[in-house]
Amino acid sequence: MINRISAVVEKEFKHLLRDKRMLFVILFFPVFLLGIFGYAVNFDVHNIQLAVYDHDKSEMSRDFINSLTKSDYFDITKYLTKDSEVKKTLDKKQAQVVLVIPDDFSKNLYSKKEPADIQFLIDGVDGNTATIISNYVKAATLSYNAKFQKEILQKMGKSSLIPIDLRPLFQFNPELSTTKFLIPGLIAIILIITAVITVSLSLVREKEHGTADQLKISSLSALEIIIGKTIPYILIALLDAVFILIAGYILFNVEIKGNYLLLFLSTVIFILASTSLGIFISVISDTQQLAFTFATMASMLPSVILSGFIFPIESMPYAIQVLTNITPAKFFIVILRAIILRGVGLPAFWHQLIYLLFFAIVFLFLATVIGNHKTKSV
Amino acid sequence: MEIRERNFITRETMHSIEIHNLTKKFGDFTSVDNISLNVNSGEILGFLGANGAGKTTTIRMLCGVLAPTSGDAIIGGFSVVKEPERVKQSIGYMSQNFSLYNDLTVEENIDFFGGVYGLSNSLLNERKSWVLEIANLNGKENMLTGSLPGGIKQRLALGTAVIHQPLIVFLDEPTSGVDPISRRNFWDLINDLSQQGTTVFVTTHYLEEAEYCNNIILINAGKLIAEGSSTELKSKYLKNKIYEIECDQVVKAMEYLEDSKFIDDTSIFGNTIHVSVNSNFNNKNQIIDLLNSKGITNIKSVDAIVPTLEDVFIHLLEKQYDK
Amino acid sequence: MKTILHIVKKEFLQFRRDPKMFAMILISPVIQLIFLGYAANFDVNVVHTAIFNQDKTATSRQFIEKFEGSGYFEMDYYVDNYKTLQKLIDNHQIILGLVIPIDFEKKIKRNETAPVQAVFDGSDGNTASISAGYVQLIVSNYSKSIVTTFMNKAGIKILPAGNVESKVRVWYNPELKTRNFMVPGIVGLLLMIVTLILTSLAIVKEKELGTLEQLIVTPIKSYQLIIGKLIPFALLGFVSEIIVLTAMVFVFNIPVRGNLLFLFFTTALYILSTLGLGLFVSTISKTQQQAMMLAIFVVMMPMIYLSGFAFPIENMPKIIQYFTYLIPLRYFMVIICGIILKGVGFSDLWLQTTLLFLIGITIIFLSSLRFKKRLD
Repeated sequence: MINRISAVVEKEFKHLLRDKRMLFVILFFPVFLLGIFGYAVNFDVHNIQLAVYDHDKSEMSRDFINSLTKSDYFDITKYLTKDSEVKKTLDKKQAQVVLVIPDDFSKNLYSKKEPADIQFLIDGVDGNTATIISNYVKAATLSYNAKFQKEILQKMGKSSLIPIDLRPLFQFNPELSTTKFLIPGLIAIILIITAVITVSLSLVREKEHGTADQLKISSLSALEIIIGKTIPYILIALLDAVFILIAGYILFNVEIKGNYLLLFLSTVIFILASTSLGIFISVISDTQQLAFTFATMASMLPSVILSGFIFPIESMPYAIQVLTNITPAKFFIVILRAIILRGVGLPAFWHQLIYLLFFAIVFLFLATVIGNHKTKSV
Repeated sequence: MEIRERNFITRETMHSIEIHNLTKKFGDFTSVDNISLNVNSGEILGFLGANGAGKTTTIRMLCGVLAPTSGDAIIGGFSVVKEPERVKQSIGYMSQNFSLYNDLTVEENIDFFGGVYGLSNSLLNERKSWVLEIANLNGKENMLTGSLPGGIKQRLALGTAVIHQPLIVFLDEPTSGVDPISRRNFWDLINDLSQQGTTVFVTTHYLEEAEYCNNIILINAGKLIAEGSSTELKSKYLKNKIYEIECDQVVKAMEYLEDSKFIDDTSIFGNTIHVSVNSNFNNKNQIIDLLNSKGITNIKSVDAIVPTLEDVFIHLLEKQYDK
Repeated sequence: MKTILHIVKKEFLQFRRDPKMFAMILISPVIQLIFLGYAANFDVNVVHTAIFNQDKTATSRQFIEKFEGSGYFEMDYYVDNYKTLQKLIDNHQIILGLVIPIDFEKKIKRNETAPVQAVFDGSDGNTASISAGYVQLIVSNYSKSIVTTFMNKAGIKILPAGNVESKVRVWYNPELKTRNFMVPGIVGLLLMIVTLILTSLAIVKEKELGTLEQLIVTPIKSYQLIIGKLIPFALLGFVSEIIVLTAMVFVFNIPVRGNLLFLFFTTALYILSTLGLGLFVSTISKTQQQAMMLAIFVVMMPMIYLSGFAFPIENMPKIIQYFTYLIPLRYFMVIICGIILKGVGFSDLWLQTTLLFLIGITIIFLSSLRFKKRLD
């Protein structure tokens, strides 16, 4: 049996090695994407472009504005003088947020009755950035208030009273770098796409070209064919994973805090799960086009959207959270983050490993059942 | 002078197809090596050679689908190098995998290719009946092409390839993988076309089909090694007589005969051996004695035969190797 | 012209014979839309928290209640040592561990400073910083109330002065629902999948099966073949766009504020680019597998990441920002969000529209040049 399987493996490898374009794409591009991704992608927001419409034009208002720009977070791009300019500035993206200071700002600041109101107008179309800006703005205001109160108290001869000294500590990713967080996800995405798509396509290609029958007639059993055909892609996916990790380390200092062996084993199991999904897809598709469409819908899009790669699962509606269990990427990302970012061991994620194995078995089983049913009915 | 015939414009030329020093290289590998030949109007030219000899590459160049590395071909008066699109207007082509759309019905395939060749509705209907007729598919227009048996599909493919009644038709291995009876029927079709004045350029690796051609080209490793009609080839290239020997231990026997001084070439045909004898040969007893002396005693027959094209081919190949 | 129609007709006949494909193309965008619409969310609504209360006094419990009361924090665990706390974080069971020191009540009552530790799982920087913001807010308010009480007791009239209250108004997306922003963006994405990938696959499939050879031997002109092949997928693109927009309006209640006709017009310009890219990919691929991998990894994924769809362009390094000016999806994102969410028209979007058009034409032109009626 090993001999027969290795014959199929060899043939598939030869196909692959001759296909220089494929090799190039499969091996080089994931790293390239990682590069773009790491450098381009960022939720950290700095140098927010601020336009200021100051009706008050007092020392206080200028003081407030300065407090905003002193930090790295805000850059003033424009001073507005007319009401009509506000909408225009936002629409034309000349600034991301407009600060409107009313003319009674400094008066209210010292009054006993009302707080001094100011307005921040944000273009919410770019919803994500808008949220971040909104949070920064609130934080900036808080810190300004605290500073101002302190000054008042000092003027009155009282030292400030700080009841609570909050000491936040950010573990695992102290700089809160987006890149470090996204890289495990990216690994999962690239692996699942590669595994599912290449496997399903290579199996369906033989169907389309009619060579599948040739294989069937030979003494190879269906299982041997499948194992033989998928091994090369499994190996390539593993190679991909290694490349990405190395690139992640060199380019972005993403260190693997945890156990390498565990990482390797988990990756293998994940690739098995993805491969079995690919096999299942190839059984239910007759053409490569169909296989591709299924593969995209079943692997790529759910993995990007539902796996926790970008959007935190905890924030999703409960029904959707349940649904996220259909993508193996979700579990693998949990495992990857645990090993790479937190450096923890098996106790943190053995559930997920079991799910992945279960996933692999279920889809292989389904593929076998449906595959047999199809051959019988032909 | 330009003649308008049927739908096309062809310049009146001496030959229907003129090939001048046509060469194709893929990197270091020369697939087609300096081929020159002419084909007359209405002729059936058989382009013979083993697989990989360069037949398909040649045909693709002649159809204007592959650019030659050097040399040129004038097809129906148009150069494949300078005016490939005008060449395409005058020819029909049937590729090796009969490329019809398997997921379209018979009628849909016919309509499609008819439409692509710009046939008017009335002409299309006329030609459609003809195609259905020759492929024996009347009443079966709605069958999916992919479900047709090989021989029928082949005839359908031929029909769609000539739906626009081109003056020149290129057929690339049209009979591969088809049963012998269908093959004969197919050649009847080709003959019909030829009699209507269509030039037919056919590649095949079945040597016996060459007998149906007016003129034959033998090609090996990209080079043209022989040209002529079937009889011309046999008489020109085969001066030696051919004997057929039926005996036991054919492979061993062939080896012994190969070494003898009165025999030039040997080859195995089924369970017989063909040998070409040279001037040292006197009579068939030499053969019998030689085999007997080597321990092969059960000799069923030794007869002089009329040489086949295959004998010619083998002889020519041996000469090539000797060079 | 008629020849083009023949090719288009053939493509549609082939679609019909593959109903699974057809169904997938039409149904899956809706499914994706629904997933994305509900899943896409950067807001933090739940922070799983563990409390390590070393004090266990009334004051400390009061403090903890402030967190519970905010609605953001779920006090899932009460632990009594650091080890357990760390384990909970390690196992990703909590995001936040609050440690209240043993002399919390004492210090508060004596008007001294009590240090409170907030240990976050910083892996997801976004969630961590938002959660930290919430914590900060609650702590600030708590502190303020302590200070006010103290001041009042001491007879010091503390003014509500020195209080800047910033009102944040978000236009066009007041509840800052991520989905309002993402959903229109999906249209661009899905269009790209249908027109770029499926087109390149279709052309390469004919190459693989050998039927392309049969086609290029006919007198059909290059441009006829190209147009004939691209039109069906353009149409499919429009159909899927209509389906998605319908789902968007009725399932997510995001109305199209602007002009639908203008939207379709700009869609046509956009798919000029994506079809052109699909054509280009088909000219450099010999097999469908190649076409797919090239289309996804080399064209689609970079386009998605760099188009501003998920990650803001303003945050990217300058060099990459310049590069994004070449990406058609970038302009289409602005246009489609502008039309749907803001209701703006050509007068505000003329720049993007023009650029989209220019880029599209260029891509189609260059790709067509590559597409020759030759086999080499």
